[in-house]
Amino acid sequence: MTALTIRPTTEDHRIAYMAALAIALMLMEAALPTPIPGVKPGLANIVTLLVLAQYGLRAAVWVTMLRVLAGSILLGSFLTPGFILSLSGAFASLAVLSIAQYLPKPYFGMVSLSLLAAFAHIGAQLTVVGLWLMPGVNVLYLSPAFALAAWIFGLSNGLIAAHLTKGSLDANSTT
Amino acid sequence: MRLLIVLVMLVLAGCSQPQTYSQESYVFGTRVEITIYGAPQALAARVTKQVLRDFDEMHHTLHAWEPGTLSRMNAVFALSPVPAAIAPGMIPIIQDATRYSVQSGGTFNPAIGNLIKLWGFQSDHFEAKLPDPAAIKKLLAERPQMQDIVLDGIMFHSTNPAVRLDLGGYAKGYALDIAAAYLRSQGIKNALINIGGNIMAIGQHGDRPWRVGIQHPRKPSPIALLDLRDGEAVGTSGDYQRYFELGGKRYCHIIDPHTGWPAQGVQAVTVLIPPSTHAGTLSDVASKPIFIAGVAGWQAAAQKMGVQDVMLIDAAGKVYMTDAMKKRLNFKLN
Amino acid sequence: MWDKLRDNIKFIQLGDGLILLISLGLVVSLTAHYWLAPAGEKIIIKRGGELFLTASLMHPFTVAIPGPLGLTQVEVYHQRARVVSDPSPRQLCVHQGWISRAGEVAICLPNQVSIEIAGTTRHYDSLNY
Repeated sequence: MTALTIRPTTEDHRIAYMAALAIALMLMEAALPTPIPGVKPGLANIVTLLVLAQYGLRAAVWVTMLRVLAGSILLGSFLTPGFILSLSGAFASLAVLSIAQYLPKPYFGMVSLSLLAAFAHIGAQLTVVGLWLMPGVNVLYLSPAFALAAWIFGLSNGLIAAHLTKGSLDANSTT
Repeated sequence: MRLLIVLVMLVLAGCSQPQTYSQESYVFGTRVEITIYGAPQALAARVTKQVLRDFDEMHHTLHAWEPGTLSRMNAVFALSPVPAAIAPGMIPIIQDATRYSVQSGGTFNPAIGNLIKLWGFQSDHFEAKLPDPAAIKKLLAERPQMQDIVLDGIMFHSTNPAVRLDLGGYAKGYALDIAAAYLRSQGIKNALINIGGNIMAIGQHGDRPWRVGIQHPRKPSPIALLDLRDGEAVGTSGDYQRYFELGGKRYCHIIDPHTGWPAQGVQAVTVLIPPSTHAGTLSDVASKPIFIAGVAGWQAAAQKMGVQDVMLIDAAGKVYMTDAMKKRLNFKLN
Repeated sequence: MWDKLRDNIKFIQLGDGLILLISLGLVVSLTAHYWLAPAGEKIIIKRGGELFLTASLMHPFTVAIPGPLGLTQVEVYHQRARVVSDPSPRQLCVHQGWISRAGEVAICLPNQVSIEIAGTTRHYDSLNY
């Protein structure tokens, strides 16, 4: 009888570590009160941006999916509309990031990626709300509020991500 | 910025409002809208009131099933060939309608009142029910037509006891002509008259022509815009105006006199009629034979009725137009 | 304070600035289109040709309009309006459903009630139907 052993690679460890970080941010954010339901800073997206920059798209997809799945289970929202919203937003922003990562580097930094991801996120979520969750509601009427939130948090998350990568790159260059 | 927009709007409203007098009313069993431009308020109000009163009078005279002049005539037709005295106002209407009926080859036939009643369209009450096909056949075999009506001085009778007049496809257009003539006689230079969707223009709206929207047969908004010149009239026959649905099929109020069944395969026919003393009447009458002719025969039917500007929308929503109509319609809304 | 700001601005590259501007433009135009412009958009309800009520489409409400046959119920919800119920036999205006764009109308002929969406400009003088 042979024992089935799973040998986690270094990449697995890295993904697990980053996903855990993202889940922590997600849970923290869920505890904070928000003025408008549905409007959240999306701090966990910073982790996605960092992983994308450091380890590539594959890792970013893994981290994001793990975060959405595990986070929703921990929050008790697995397979609820909230989970579907979260998933659709995550898918849309990953799709946009997969293209946006090829934008010419010196000119388009973390802020660009973060903004594009944020707008993809709310775009997908509003579409899901309008077509499936609340078909009678004119979601476009709500879109300015969500678009403004996406702009503000897209910018701030992008700046945070830029600070963090800059820090780590500096650290790398000095050693 | 918003304050500025509000100010501009107030100024614009201040400029345009007093020159336009508009009155909407429900007479003639339908919605009537009269808009008068550039006339003194008092005059506009007075003539509008008179027009609406005339419509109310005409409605009672020409109503197909409520007691009135026309229903009395229908009772006399049933006593064929016994004659009775005719109400003088009915003489030109009968002659006129007969002429159009002959011109259309019987496709416009106001004498089939019994058939329309059988289909339940001569009623304010709704019943989605198909009539007995045998009853339709029987009514068809009686072959009532306008030529059966004999006018002899002040007397009239029918040579066919099955004749029952229903002026549903005539009266609104006729009323347009009467109203337009009256308004012009009272010194009104610019007006737009809308009787249940049939519209006639007098003059124009300030420095631009009167602009009407053509209803989309399946949406609550216009499909195209049309600028009407002085004296022109526009009319539409649509399967959305009066209809019932049964077994997923739509049965509209436009009944083919040759088959006895509601016309199929067309959503709407719009005709634009050039200025004449009969423009209003023709805008009401001419769309019916074209509607019944359908996609295959609409051009021939239009020619027969002497109409150049026609738009037809088939059951699939495809738009057909004569070249003349194409030049007049504006499909780029907003 | 200024150092902090400069510290952040150095992370905003040329392309970032471009995307920031474009997306801000999107936010502004969405706001202008859905929040500012519709402020002028109203519903006009007429009964027997007389003005019964004009109201903004911004706030949801329902209203019952008494006509010769009975009550016509009109509902305004999320920038749209519709006839919920009407005593007319054929129910054509109820089947019409929601209307929201300027110039769109629903007419309950037998009960003499009409609802119309009014915009800042009217594209035509009358409707051929």
